[in-house]
Amino acid sequence: MFSLSQRFQTVSNTAVTVGLFLAAFIIGTSWFQLVSNHAFDLSSSISNVTPKINVRTSRYYGSVNGKAKENAKVSFDLEADLTKLFNWNTKQVFTYLTAEYENVKHTRQNEVTFWDKIITSKDDAVLNLTDAQSKYHVWDVQEKLTGKDLKLKLHWNIQPWVGPLVYGETDGTFTLSIPEREKTEKKAKESESAESSSPN
Amino acid sequence: MNLRLELTKLLNLCFVFASAYMFWEGLSLVANTHSPIVVVLSGSMEPAFQRGDILFLWNRNEQSKVGDVVVYEVAGKNIPIVHRVLREHHSIADPSKQVLLTKGDNNAGNDIPLYANRKLYLNKQKDIVGTVKGYFPQLGYITIWVSENKYAKFALLGFLALSSLVGGE
Repeated sequence: MFSLSQRFQTVSNTAVTVGLFLAAFIIGTSWFQLVSNHAFDLSSSISNVTPKINVRTSRYYGSVNGKAKENAKVSFDLEADLTKLFNWNTKQVFTYLTAEYENVKHTRQNEVTFWDKIITSKDDAVLNLTDAQSKYHVWDVQEKLTGKDLKLKLHWNIQPWVGPLVYGETDGTFTLSIPEREKTEKKAKESESAESSSPN
Repeated sequence: MNLRLELTKLLNLCFVFASAYMFWEGLSLVANTHSPIVVVLSGSMEPAFQRGDILFLWNRNEQSKVGDVVVYEVAGKNIPIVHRVLREHHSIADPSKQVLLTKGDNNAGNDIPLYANRKLYLNKQKDIVGTVKGYFPQLGYITIWVSENKYAKFALLGFLALSSLVGGE
C-alpha cells in the first residue's frame, strides 16, 4: 500500500533529482557560452585618471583618534563592453574598478575599490564613461596614499540565477602616480576645519 | 503491535537524522567552516541575493580578494552577514595576515558602523566564516518561515506527527 510519507518521499526525491540535473545543465551551458564568447579576455580602456586628495578627521574616513587622514578620490574615463557576460544564467554583473599598490617598505600588498556598478540588463552593459567620479573615498590602512603608484584595473563578477559565482578581469590597466602634496600646512588646516564643520 | 517493527522504524528515523548530521559535518570539514551553507537574511546584497537564497561557502583560501562575497560574524552577535570585500591589505611575507573592509552592494556606505569595538577592518583569519562560491535561489525560505512565524513550527511538527500516525505500513 502507498502511505502518505511514501508518496511524499517519492515526489520530493524526483523533484530534487530533476532540480539538480536542470541546475547542472544550466551551469554547463552558461560556462560553454562564456568560454566560446571569450568572456575571460574582454578589453577595456582606463584613461584620464586624476586624483583628488582630501584630509579627513572622521573615524568613518579612516582617521584614528581624530588624526588627519588623507583620503583619495579619482575622476576617470572608462570604456568597456561587458555584453558578452550576459547569458541565460546571468542575474547581474557586478563590475568594479580597483587599484593595487604596495606600501613604502614593500612589505604589504593592498587592493582598494574606487568605483563599482551593478548591471542587471544586457542593454546597460556597454560602459562609456568620461570624467566619472569615483564612488568611494579611499585611504590606506596605515600610511598616506600620496607618493604611491596605483595600478588600476576593471574587474567583473557574474552573479548567476543558479550555480557558481564567476570572476574575471578586463585587460585595460592604468598606472596612477599620486603626487606628494605640497607642504602647505595652512591649506591642510583649512580643509580640515571645513571638514569638521560639514556633516558627513 | 509488533515491537520489532516499531523498533526498526525508530532505528530508521535515527539513521535519517544521523546521516543528515554527518552530511553537514562532512561539508563543514571539507569547506573548513562551521556553517558551509547559509541562508540570506537581509536585503543588503540585492538584487543578486535575496532573502531566502542559499549560499555555499568555502573557507580554505588563505586570503580574500577584492570583489569576493564573504560571510562574516561580528564578535558578540551571532548573525552572519553576507557582504562584498571592498578593500584588502595583506602582508607580503605572511599572506595570511590580512585585514578587509566590506560593503553590501545595496548599501550606501561601507560596513565600518557594523564592526565590533569601533574597529575599522575585519580580520580574515578571525572574523570571516567563508567565501561565497555557489548560489541556489529561494530554497532556504522555509527556514526563515519556520524561525520567524510562531505557528509555522507547530504546523510543521503537527504535520510530521500526523504523517507518522497515518502512514502505517
